Amino acid sequence: MGKWGAFLILATLLMPALVLAQGSNPVPITTVNVQMLGPERVGNLPPVIAPVDNPQTADKILLGKKLYFDTRLSQDNTISCATCHSPAMGWSDAGPTSVGINGQKGGRRAPPVSNSAYNPLQFWDGRAPSLEEQAKGPVQNPIEMGNTHEVMVRTLDDIPGYVEEFKAVFGTTPITVDQVAQAIAAYERTVVTTDSPFDRFVRGDRNAMTSQEKKGLEIFNGKGHCTLCHWGSNFSDGRFHNLGVAPMAGAKPDDGRFEITKNPKDKGAFKTPTVRDAALRAPYMHNGSEKDLRTLIQLYDRGGGDDAVNLDALMLPLGLSDEETEALVAFTKRAMVSTNLSVANEKPIPASELPK
Amino acid sequence: MKKVTISLLALLGFIFIVPQTGNAIPAFARKYGFNCNMCHTSFIKLNDFGQRYRDYGYQIPGQEGYEKNVFETAPPLAIRTSFGLSLIKSHSTTSGFNIYGFDFLAAGVLHKNISFLMIYTPRIDEPAADYRGSTGGSNPSQLAAVESGNILFSNLITDALNLRIGRFEPAYHAVSSKRSYYINQPYEIYTYATPKINYLFDDNQMGVEASGHFKNGFHYGLGVVNGTGASPDNNKYKDLYLDLYQVFGRGEGQSAGQRIGAFGYLGWQPASLPDPDSSYPVGAEFNGGDNKSFYRVGGDLSLNYKTFNLRALFMQGKDSKAFNDRDSTKDYNYNGGFVELDYAALPNNRLLISATYNMVRPPSYDESNRINAFSGLIRYYLGDWTAVNVALHAEYTHREVGKDQPSKEDIFLLLVDFDF
Repeated sequence: MGKWGAFLILATLLMPALVLAQGSNPVPITTVNVQMLGPERVGNLPPVIAPVDNPQTADKILLGKKLYFDTRLSQDNTISCATCHSPAMGWSDAGPTSVGINGQKGGRRAPPVSNSAYNPLQFWDGRAPSLEEQAKGPVQNPIEMGNTHEVMVRTLDDIPGYVEEFKAVFGTTPITVDQVAQAIAAYERTVVTTDSPFDRFVRGDRNAMTSQEKKGLEIFNGKGHCTLCHWGSNFSDGRFHNLGVAPMAGAKPDDGRFEITKNPKDKGAFKTPTVRDAALRAPYMHNGSEKDLRTLIQLYDRGGGDDAVNLDALMLPLGLSDEETEALVAFTKRAMVSTNLSVANEKPIPASELPK
Repeated sequence: MKKVTISLLALLGFIFIVPQTGNAIPAFARKYGFNCNMCHTSFIKLNDFGQRYRDYGYQIPGQEGYEKNVFETAPPLAIRTSFGLSLIKSHSTTSGFNIYGFDFLAAGVLHKNISFLMIYTPRIDEPAADYRGSTGGSNPSQLAAVESGNILFSNLITDALNLRIGRFEPAYHAVSSKRSYYINQPYEIYTYATPKINYLFDDNQMGVEASGHFKNGFHYGLGVVNGTGASPDNNKYKDLYLDLYQVFGRGEGQSAGQRIGAFGYLGWQPASLPDPDSSYPVGAEFNGGDNKSFYRVGGDLSLNYKTFNLRALFMQGKDSKAFNDRDSTKDYNYNGGFVELDYAALPNNRLLISATYNMVRPPSYDESNRINAFSGLIRYYLGDWTAVNVALHAEYTHREVGKDQPSKEDIFLLLVDFDF
């Protein structure tokens, strides 16, 4: 091959490179925001930042807490936020998927409310860009609370105690759905699980974790590939991944993030949940298909589930030994569980103490 | 006695002059906060994710266009080196403390789907500065070189077309010699120098390479290079190569999945110097005349079971008889290969055990260059959850050169290999 021939080949190959490498497909702005983040080293949680249009106040947080535990927000007065996001169950529920009014079963598991303040996007599919937007959703979901925003607001407006509290917090009447959402979101921003053994360990307490848990952390951040997605202070990238999770027997296929973006790459992709307090929230995955931490880790060890049609490129077999699996279980089971008692032991507000 | 001394010094020179450099780039671990074993089975060998990350142009798959570039992170610089003790036994026994190479590495993302890799090996005169050997009194233990200097345009066609330009490790290195655990022992078939030819299979090459992969596990690499390593091209042709491999199962064949591949390299070298038709002075590019061809073809596989990885490569080489100073009536045909078994143990693969058999079979009239080498190593990694980047390394090689009465040597290394 002559030198000019080689030059021609090089130039031919290089020209499209310069053009195409700069090209990009339009993506939803929410995806861009999520993708722009991290990865970052795992570590202690920073303080929660509230949005400027919904500053935290003590009265608002208390009002939000009352609303959170109040079943009167639902169509038949049986379901509250706490029904599916129970403090006693790691701010989720018993699963495998959540149960709403009239015993109806949803297709997905309740994501934890704890540390949801750190999520860039809410819900398994990221359809809500804020806690305020998220709080509005379940009320009018026919399977969850089965209500409408209008009926819910009328119900609250008929409760003098609430009218008084809303007026004190927001300074206006009548009650609006946005005010309800803002109050609930304000409360949820206080549900932050900190002070796990891991948190103390990275603050310098070398005895906070057992040697097995330290091995687990090392594997978590290394051979286990966990921090590829579970990175940062909240152990979540806030992004969406298809892990090859097959539908449960008899369940319809769930397209996850694809329903929102219509991007084929998002088919079967679901948001990365936090690992903090995950031990309190079995079963796992969006459909509750993994019964415990061990089977969950074994799924990752296999390189994902059986439905590999749109498997995420980050999913690869890991070659974990039994000892490594147990170390990961130990790390998740104890070292990642908060001992922040005010949150971990949050008690529901009894109906008798709710506004009348 | 003089013969023994010369042999010994030549052996020492061999060890020092062939530093085992590699591409573990802790700058990435720093960038993300990941432990080394996110990308490496144990440093320095890539695992499946590391391979995928490299193929994506040092971008996490799915994050193309959103990666922090080198202007947004700490300077993406890293260093790798090894210090230790060697014990060499051939005609006599010698031992000494040595530096086994020193690499400056830099790599990262410049812009969306545009990344780079630079590896500079500075010249190291000590501890070999006093050596006066076959190269006329100048035998540094490491020569200064830009071992790698390339830019990668990724995803020109998503996954299916990437373009690497510069000096790089070519795709036909199905088993990377730059990311081998062995500090002293090379892959013999890679470093086997055939007569009168300025091409070494082991060399990083200068040119352009297209590569890509598909969902069904099929990968390809196609390149156009000088074929003269870091030297200017010495003939009017460019060399061509093709590497194909298929991965079965999930993985990339590095630490999971089963990989089988084939490669071929076709090159030209000048049979006479200078080219009488060339206006170029002697020593300049294109000064070679009477260009003759040579080729290398082979196959490779990588099989994985749990943390066992068996890698094998076999290669056949043929140089035109014009290059054969052993028997100018025949083409120079030779073959060889290696089999390597690696086993990673202990949590996070902190213990690595490897055994390798290398062989080279030259033509019958050149049996004095026949090579058999048996090697083994153990590496234990020190570190914590942030990095396991310090390896205590013990390596042994028994090497025989020749057929009927081969010269034998035993080389034992005990060293610390680390990067940061």
